[in-house]
Amino acid sequence: MTVEWVHPGLLLIVGAWVLPFLKGEVKRAAMLILPAAALIDCLLMTPGTYGVTRFLGQDLVFGRADRLSLVFSYVFSLMAFLGMVYALHVEDDSQHVAALTYAGGALGVTFAGDFLSLYVFWELMAISSALLVLLRRESSAVAAGFRYLLVHIFGGLILLGGIVLHWSETGSLAFGDMGAYSGGMAWALILVAFLLNAAVPPLGAWLSDAYPEATVTGAVFMTAFTTKSAVYALIRGFAGTELLVWLGAAMAVYGVVYAVLENDARRLLAYHIISQVGYMVCGVGIGTALATNGATAHAFAHILYKALLFMGAGAVLQTTGLRKLSEMGGLYKTMPVTLGLYMIGAFAISAVPLFSGFVSKSMVIAAAGEVHRPVIFLMLTLASAGTFLHTGLKLPYYMFFGKDSGRRSQEPPRNMLVAMGLAAVACVLIGVFPGLLYERLPNPVDFVPYTLQHVTSTLGMLGFTALGFFLLLKHLDPEPTISLDTDWFYRRGSAGVMELVQGPLARLEFGFVGEIYEFVIRRPVLGAANFFRKLDTFVVDSAIVGVGRSTQTLSQVLKTMVSGNAQHYGLIMAAGILILLALAIFIQ
Amino acid sequence: MNFLQKQLEDPVRFARIKRWFYAGLSVVALAEIVLPRIFHGGESHFSFEDFPAWGSLYGFVSCVAIIVVSKLIGKLWLMRREDYYDR
Repeated sequence: MTVEWVHPGLLLIVGAWVLPFLKGEVKRAAMLILPAAALIDCLLMTPGTYGVTRFLGQDLVFGRADRLSLVFSYVFSLMAFLGMVYALHVEDDSQHVAALTYAGGALGVTFAGDFLSLYVFWELMAISSALLVLLRRESSAVAAGFRYLLVHIFGGLILLGGIVLHWSETGSLAFGDMGAYSGGMAWALILVAFLLNAAVPPLGAWLSDAYPEATVTGAVFMTAFTTKSAVYALIRGFAGTELLVWLGAAMAVYGVVYAVLENDARRLLAYHIISQVGYMVCGVGIGTALATNGATAHAFAHILYKALLFMGAGAVLQTTGLRKLSEMGGLYKTMPVTLGLYMIGAFAISAVPLFSGFVSKSMVIAAAGEVHRPVIFLMLTLASAGTFLHTGLKLPYYMFFGKDSGRRSQEPPRNMLVAMGLAAVACVLIGVFPGLLYERLPNPVDFVPYTLQHVTSTLGMLGFTALGFFLLLKHLDPEPTISLDTDWFYRRGSAGVMELVQGPLARLEFGFVGEIYEFVIRRPVLGAANFFRKLDTFVVDSAIVGVGRSTQTLSQVLKTMVSGNAQHYGLIMAAGILILLALAIFIQ
Repeated sequence: MNFLQKQLEDPVRFARIKRWFYAGLSVVALAEIVLPRIFHGGESHFSFEDFPAWGSLYGFVSCVAIIVVSKLIGKLWLMRREDYYDR
């Protein structure tokens, strides 16, 4: 039997279980070979439909390979490889298995041609990524991991509800453009589930809640897969949905606002994931060829530079144990390589010319210009300045420069630096040779990022953002606070609900409802029961006793007659006959 | 003592970096005003993009607006003590 097609996701999910049985160098080799094999598998795949299985009268398509799914599969498997390089030193098999399963789930979602297989991989991602949080094994991580899991189970149930509804309405499980069902309940449920995974506010607080609590290496995987597979699903199903234009633009600004207030380094970066995914969601909403290309390109570039940024912050966390900006400072003296590599990621996310963000983000912004949406254009450009302000200036300033905290550390393990180096190379490569990325985008690209106007205005914008930063520097000092987000509703809001239940609601129950119950139900019922009891004792019982007594009396009388003596019976018979005769004679 | 340390800890060199930074800013802003007039390579979608040094201006305004507005929202509403959720 020849195998025509191997699912790259399945390769990772099944292959991951080999790791616990291997040791030392062999294990480390396997950790790299698995994602590398998945990457090669994706690169060799030609567009087509593979892995079709008949189930419940439906075609389950595990391998829909077209230009859109292929470009996402390249970056997902590449990211799995970079993540494994970064995690090579970690001696915790469960983390590796969870991470590979998670990446495999993302590839499964990418290649799923029907809703049912999409759903299965969707849930697999939720569970395996929650493990990456839980496996940090600290109480705050376990709590955040469970919140993360609950939110995603909730989202998964919404998705399942939407899928079942869609199936019953259309009789088909095929996953394609949902535009024809726009406004329906199934359409809305599926959209909400996708938006939840894309971390669109108000459904996105799980991201900034959980990612900073994940393990150092796990967080790197998490930045890539959940939100970007949701972006893929949105491009596939909901391109051109007007609502997404506004949600995306609002999201881009929202992440920036929270980043100003944030003190935890990795949480600041997490808010910038939300901000960056905003560009993609907005691009999906605009829905033109340029915009969906932009959303795809930005997802591709974003995965690589955001992983690099999280790797940098993770390296600092790993070597110093510090996560709060207010406690860091002066690390450039001992971690110059980490700083340099981090800055490449920071320039990429800030869309500095010659770095990847410049050639991808500008596609989305240009798409907003092309369809003439000035407000969206201005919001996205503003968020762009905010991105440079935080990721490019504030975070490195307080982490590596700023007030010297006196902490001394060393560079992280070599494999972490190698992973960062590879990601940095990818960021620069895409920025310098955008054609490498553009030729793989779903639609033909007719977009030139390096125009005179674009380069000068971007440089001007970045330069003067830096000026604003240095002028307002003293107002930007990180403060040891946390910021309220929509996770308040299930973290404190739920406590409020409990207080409401235990306080007023309990008093209402025992006092008011209880009293009413007492008078309306309990007392009448007891009264009626009492009445029936009396009726029972005095009427029914005495009737039964009376019947018994009279029967007894009768039998006493009969006992004297029924003596069992034949002579008595003969005498009574003779007497009877005499009486009958007498009667016969007298009546005549 | 690495290269960065040398640049940042010597006040003379640091002042020099500062001067270069401001010089760079003026060059960029100037280029943004002058170059489009010479080359006419503009593909601007909106009229406001043709405003002289639009990128520099909007970048500066955005930066200040983000910091001021966010801090305001944060102070008045969103920022809480770190143990807010643990109490």
